[in-house]
Amino acid sequence: MMQTRNLFLIAVVLLVLVAIPPFLELDWQNALVNILIASLFALAFNLLSGQAGLLSFGHAAYFGMGAFATLHLMQAIEDGLVFPTPLLPLAGAAIGLLIGIVAGFFATMRSGVYFALVTLAIAELFHSLTPHLQGLFGGEAGISSMRMPWQGFSFGSVLEVYYLTLAWVVLSILLLWAFTRTPFGRLTLALRDNEQRVRFLGYNAHASKVIIFAVSAMFSGIAGGLLAISNETANYALFSSHISAQVVLQTFVGGATIFFGPVIGAVSFTLFAYLISDLTRSWLFYQGLIFVLVMLYAPMGIGGVLQHHLRDVRRKDWAQLAGPYSLAALGGVLVAGGVIYLTETVSVLFGEEYAVEIRNAGGVLPNYHLFGFQFDPSGIVTWIIPVLLLAAGFGILMKGRQAILRCWETLGQDQAESSEEAQPQGGAS
Amino acid sequence: MEFALISALNGVTYGLLLFMVSAGLTLIFGMMGVLNFAHASFYMLGAYVAFAVSSHFGFWTGLIVAPVIVGFVGMLVERYLLPRVHAHGHAHELLLTFGLAMIIEEVIKLFFGDFPVNYQMPETMRFAAFSVFGSDYPFYRLFIGATAIVMFAVLWYLLARTRVGIVVRAAERLPAMAEALGHNIPIVFMGVFGVGAALAGLAGAVAGAFYPTNPNMGLELGVIVFVVVVVGGLGSLKGSLLASLMIGLFSSFAVGLDWSLANLFSLVGLGEWARSIGGLLTLELSSISATIPFALMLIVLLVRPAGLMGERN
Repeated sequence: MMQTRNLFLIAVVLLVLVAIPPFLELDWQNALVNILIASLFALAFNLLSGQAGLLSFGHAAYFGMGAFATLHLMQAIEDGLVFPTPLLPLAGAAIGLLIGIVAGFFATMRSGVYFALVTLAIAELFHSLTPHLQGLFGGEAGISSMRMPWQGFSFGSVLEVYYLTLAWVVLSILLLWAFTRTPFGRLTLALRDNEQRVRFLGYNAHASKVIIFAVSAMFSGIAGGLLAISNETANYALFSSHISAQVVLQTFVGGATIFFGPVIGAVSFTLFAYLISDLTRSWLFYQGLIFVLVMLYAPMGIGGVLQHHLRDVRRKDWAQLAGPYSLAALGGVLVAGGVIYLTETVSVLFGEEYAVEIRNAGGVLPNYHLFGFQFDPSGIVTWIIPVLLLAAGFGILMKGRQAILRCWETLGQDQAESSEEAQPQGGAS
Repeated sequence: MEFALISALNGVTYGLLLFMVSAGLTLIFGMMGVLNFAHASFYMLGAYVAFAVSSHFGFWTGLIVAPVIVGFVGMLVERYLLPRVHAHGHAHELLLTFGLAMIIEEVIKLFFGDFPVNYQMPETMRFAAFSVFGSDYPFYRLFIGATAIVMFAVLWYLLARTRVGIVVRAAERLPAMAEALGHNIPIVFMGVFGVGAALAGLAGAVAGAFYPTNPNMGLELGVIVFVVVVVGGLGSLKGSLLASLMIGLFSSFAVGLDWSLANLFSLVGLGEWARSIGGLLTLELSSISATIPFALMLIVLLVRPAGLMGERN
């Protein structure tokens, strides 16, 4: 099924991932390590949520346990245990598999909302219990260790850690991909679509779901182990609902219905966090906004939209589509500009520093600085800019959207609704 | 004795507060099958709106305006956002409310900052209702409890004794049939969602003046509220009242007790052995008081997913 084009694309991506990092700065190398780990975690999560249709809100539990198990193994190596450092994530895999079997056995007894709640409860159980277990989890401070050299590799530099992570992530992704191609992997899809029929065909649905859950938890454990190797420390915050939430966000923004969708989400969100969190304090707000917009206008995620456009790329008249698309993109950019302007203005005007400035100015509203300009908070121009941006942006966006819909209709495509809006995402980011 | 009485009082008032928030959540789930992750955010929104309004127009105005605004936000969500994802199934509805919860939290941080705000009860309400064993019991705790009780009475009266209540209950049981009989079911759904959100907003406005008002309060309460509605039975109002009181009493008693499994073992003479093992066996009840509700929720989900009072289906 793999086309040569896809193979070529993967080879290029791999080549870039291998060849470029030595020339990057240290913090970019670190960011790449985090991107790889997030991608693996999201793919492992998606095995359960996208392919088996079981939405888990507690995957942080297996991720975190993988990290702690790996750290304990690292501590044992420090104390003299002979174990090759590159194989450390195996500890994460083992504990993930083990806990995945136990948790999965109970969680998959329920389905739908109840399944989500069971996984949530399990993760909260870990999160609330671990700070009190001093011996295993080091209390609130957590535990830490050192990477030990092995066979000439010192694992002292970020670059070495990067290549170790890359190797593990590529191997894991290959395994995950191969897993979806096995007859059992196909059964996973069948379980999502019609469990009743699967049972009628004579399969043990519960056992199958436990296995999928455990495999997903195992790869989450590997991701956690890689994080432990990279950070050399972990504490109970790894079990927090924020971690579980992030992976849900990344997976569904990227697109849960295609294999590499979660990677798109993980890469863009990690990059987004890395680049934007320095620029503005409101980056989590933008992130939430993007997530909700994707849920509303492109429920299949970015990957779904891409797939829809690439499906039969040659049969489409791109010249005809280019006009409306650029129109919609322009509208999206304008709306995004308006939203960002308003958000940042609010963030400044309601910030602590500005409150001090007001006090110093004796109750009058002093001018504030934003994007390198000076604005008067009570001036009319200050508020006309966002109103104009938003109004013009929405107008253009609506026009572009109608034109796009017309184009797709004349192109004789019947899945117009999934392509409906690639723009709001682009607009919001 | 003093400990028992004070803990019981605190537990009941906290439980009643939990009930105010969980009532809306369980009503909405029972009717629409939507598990609203943003519900606890409505609670937080209520506290912040009340804070913003009350600092200009007084405490009581804030108490009235907050539920109205929050209820209105809830109606907008139900009317304009949820239907868009309805076709993609319950998972997407869950994810949407989950994203909304994030946005509400971030918007609040944007306006009020990522730290607790100084939302206080008025001075006229800051007095001791009575004193037990030499310590004063704050009147405001009783006020929180009384608000919840009044709310429950009104809600029960509306649902059980009025025409509107009949339509709502019909819409919950057989929406298609109720619609065929000429009732405007989308409006009913929107109304129930709005009332549920408003209740959470009221709870936030009342409780925010007593407990700390910070951007984490939604998340902190949110998980406990999930425990309450699951233990009580998703969709059951009576069940969530019972579960709220249970969880409330449990959490107020547990923080003061230093029982551990080792104590249990020492009853049969194995105390020393258990203490030497350590780990789980020597954990004191007070330190795992945050864990037990989740364990309870897990057990209920696995053994009796319909909860204490829910109907099996």
